[in-house]
Amino acid sequence: MSIHFTIDGRSVSAKRGESILQVARREGIYIPTMCYLPKTTPNASCRMCVVEVEGVSGFVLSCNTPPVEGATIRTDSTALFKERQNIMKLYNVNHPLQCGVCDKSGECDLQNKTLEFEVSEQSFATKEQKRKNKKWGVLSYDPYLCIMCEKCTAVCNQVVGSEALYIKPGGYKSEIDNHYSRCIQCGECISVCPVGAMASTDFEYTANVWELRKIPSACAHCSSACNLNYEVKEIGIDSGKGEQKIYRVTNEADHDALCGAGRFGYDFENRVSCKDERAFAKVLKAFKEAKTIRFSSMITNEEAYLLQQLKERHGYRLINPEARVYQKFLRAFSSVSGVSLYGGDLKRVAQSDYAIVMGCAVSSDNPMVRFALARAVNNNKAYVGLFHPIEEEGLRNIVTQHLKHEVGSEEALMALLCDAFVPSEVKKSHVSFFESLDVGYICGESSVGEEEIERLVRQRVRKKAPVLVLGADLYAHPRADNIAKMAGLLERFGGFEVVIVPSDTNTMGVALICDLDDEALSPVIGYNAQGDCVLSALGGSDLDMPALNQQEGTFTTVDKEVVPLNAALPYHGYELSDIANALGIVLKHVIDLTCKLPKEKGYKEVAFDDLPNRYLNHGVQIRGYMLEPLHVSCEENIGVIADIQEYNGTILYRCNPISQFNLFTDKTHQINDRAVILGSSQFAEAAKIKSGEEVRFVIDGRAMSRKFQVSSKLKGTVAYHPDFDSFEKSAAYRYQKVTFERV
Amino acid sequence: MHTHDTHEQHGHGESELGNRYISEHYYYVDIAPYPTTPWGKFSRALKRTLRGELFVGLWVVLREMFKFDIHTVQYPKEKLLVGPRYRAVHAMQRLFESGTERCIGCGLCEKICISNCIRMETRLDEKSRKEVSEYTINLGRCIFCGYCAEVCPELAIVHGPRYENVSEQRAHYIDYAGMLTPIDMAISGEQKEFDGFGAVTPHEDARVKQTPLAY
Repeated sequence: MSIHFTIDGRSVSAKRGESILQVARREGIYIPTMCYLPKTTPNASCRMCVVEVEGVSGFVLSCNTPPVEGATIRTDSTALFKERQNIMKLYNVNHPLQCGVCDKSGECDLQNKTLEFEVSEQSFATKEQKRKNKKWGVLSYDPYLCIMCEKCTAVCNQVVGSEALYIKPGGYKSEIDNHYSRCIQCGECISVCPVGAMASTDFEYTANVWELRKIPSACAHCSSACNLNYEVKEIGIDSGKGEQKIYRVTNEADHDALCGAGRFGYDFENRVSCKDERAFAKVLKAFKEAKTIRFSSMITNEEAYLLQQLKERHGYRLINPEARVYQKFLRAFSSVSGVSLYGGDLKRVAQSDYAIVMGCAVSSDNPMVRFALARAVNNNKAYVGLFHPIEEEGLRNIVTQHLKHEVGSEEALMALLCDAFVPSEVKKSHVSFFESLDVGYICGESSVGEEEIERLVRQRVRKKAPVLVLGADLYAHPRADNIAKMAGLLERFGGFEVVIVPSDTNTMGVALICDLDDEALSPVIGYNAQGDCVLSALGGSDLDMPALNQQEGTFTTVDKEVVPLNAALPYHGYELSDIANALGIVLKHVIDLTCKLPKEKGYKEVAFDDLPNRYLNHGVQIRGYMLEPLHVSCEENIGVIADIQEYNGTILYRCNPISQFNLFTDKTHQINDRAVILGSSQFAEAAKIKSGEEVRFVIDGRAMSRKFQVSSKLKGTVAYHPDFDSFEKSAAYRYQKVTFERV
Repeated sequence: MHTHDTHEQHGHGESELGNRYISEHYYYVDIAPYPTTPWGKFSRALKRTLRGELFVGLWVVLREMFKFDIHTVQYPKEKLLVGPRYRAVHAMQRLFESGTERCIGCGLCEKICISNCIRMETRLDEKSRKEVSEYTINLGRCIFCGYCAEVCPELAIVHGPRYENVSEQRAHYIDYAGMLTPIDMAISGEQKEFDGFGAVTPHEDARVKQTPLAY
């Protein structure tokens, strides 16, 4: 059902729930705004978006007013211009006239609108307040420049869900303040600030916006591969050959979000001066002897395809344990769901009204999962149930019901979900599975109460768009295969749209493109991974490789999209395609392979240069293409669930701090989290260690020593154990029992 | 033949058309017609040779030599003042009294420069202000157009009057330290204010508007 009306003489139609402003933007009709941020609910404080409606006296706010059938709306008239001009005059009261040094100058909303509405002088003034500039980590706040549009608090509450920023009220004295302990340093507030009030501490005063060249690309740190712009300029006056560096990262902040790693973790490029021919010859020799290539999922689709071709031609084994478990999980999932890919994506999560999350460290595995859930909670009042053994303080605004369970009981809990949501006629075909379910036993062993599950199930009633988000805890679970099948059942018959969040940047692409092996044969070539001969984009290895901000290619994202990656900085050394060329695979550029990606896996024959990467006026993103979901035969039966294993004693959970993903984020100068074991004080007591102590332990057969720190944000008896500081990625279950030995 | 009459006629017509290049004091010079016949040409040559005009010229030189008030500028010892709008190599001004550099690092000169010869690097200084960490002008590219001085909102970069530059390369003419007014000169008030393009006009004070109710 649509509503028909006219704006500026043009007949347009609106969907239910759309505001006049949204329709105008969709139709390309300009209405000026100052406080409106499309990705949050309108806060209607600026009154710039006023329009005239025929038959209505006074002006109407277009940002929060839905149109009525047959209305005649005018967006521009002398009276409206005067009104908006007066608003701009008030915005300019005491605004410092320091555009000359302000970082925002050139892309400032206030500057633009002041010029647009011909405010050439400050006609009002008020007594200036004494205010203090603040610095909150990556974020600096200048209250003198602040126009109190409240965009920053809106994103912090509604998009990030951390409620760190708030308004300290006081009329003209009011300013923004920060509950710093809640701040996750994502920089969303910086990106939406229309003036220079919220600024990046690192970028401040280093470059003028008009000197920076924007290179649209994809973030290389997690499977969301968010759209971003690398902004580059020469390093300095004396850099000689005009060598460039990335000064900052921006994004289309009106419509899209970016986490701290994307925004601040950009300088992980590998600078090499020239092609090292001797190293190349040595590596080539190693390739001729090698039997296995081990690689990480920090790789483009094209290079993954190149490795697959090398395997087909030279019989290498391809080892990527983390992508291998994901691949197996996805295959087991589709063996029941009947479709090669899962049905949901993060956009659906953001639009959902009911979400169950299992096996996912929501804030740090893929920050966009957290952002999507926060948007679902704030925009659709979604009910979010999180199954996780660790309770995280920072998620309390996002998670409606935390179902804290024992480590290792994921399979049984998934079975309970199946029992609750799969219709009874389907249950008949899986009789042995459903009949063997002992709810009392499961609830007892997993320590999730029956009434908790009942509450979760009850909330599902009358919800229109339920989603199920599964995370990396499950892929390496000892019972991963069965969990995946149950998830497949839930997608096929349970009414859920499932998202299986890939554990690393291009895990999805690797899992689809490469034929991965389980066992390695030495000698091993490591490509950004351990090996006898290592090619690395971090430098200091046998042969340097370009980092992901120096490469062209594509990623396959959690949203099942193939998105383009552009090179922000040049690379002067050898690339994987040079090695492939020397090994008999003739190609000029690695992006020539974009159109050759396997169609039988859902890829399309689209050339790299034809991949779109843009937004429409009303925020619809047109970027790359969607993978084609393919039908696969489904025959497999779901196994009877295994007994729940007990995990007692000191348990470590493999999980990185927010914004730290791997050695590349670790290399960047703005992300400085150190690799320490983080646990609650309860954990410290049980493990008999104190904060700040160094401990030695063996995990996944690897001896290591780390510092332990108590975090007040954590609860429970499981501690976080990061793995971002090593190439060696374990594909074992993320929870491991360890014995601490004090150093 | 005097031509006052014709001038009047002409002048009237021209002034009606508004030709500002013709003043009412202009008159036509009495020039004898050119000889056309061979005899005429010969007699003109003879006249010019024998009238001794050569000695007239010699006499003027001799007379001026002994008068001792010569109009020639004795260049290296004596220098003419250059006009305020003369655009020689750049100078960087300081604030009077405090001696702080005027340049705020806004980057407008860099942006406006049509020969792309200005580059600057800025950063946040200890006092949380924008500070210029590096500033160069590639004088090899500079065409001395004066846009940088004109656009500068702080009257920091200006064109100096120094036109005596001798070097193998224009890059040697001056560097940033040389452009900058010495600090003692700025504090003692010896720094000369720039009057060229972009400078404050004399009646600027009167044009400044106060914000009503300004505290």
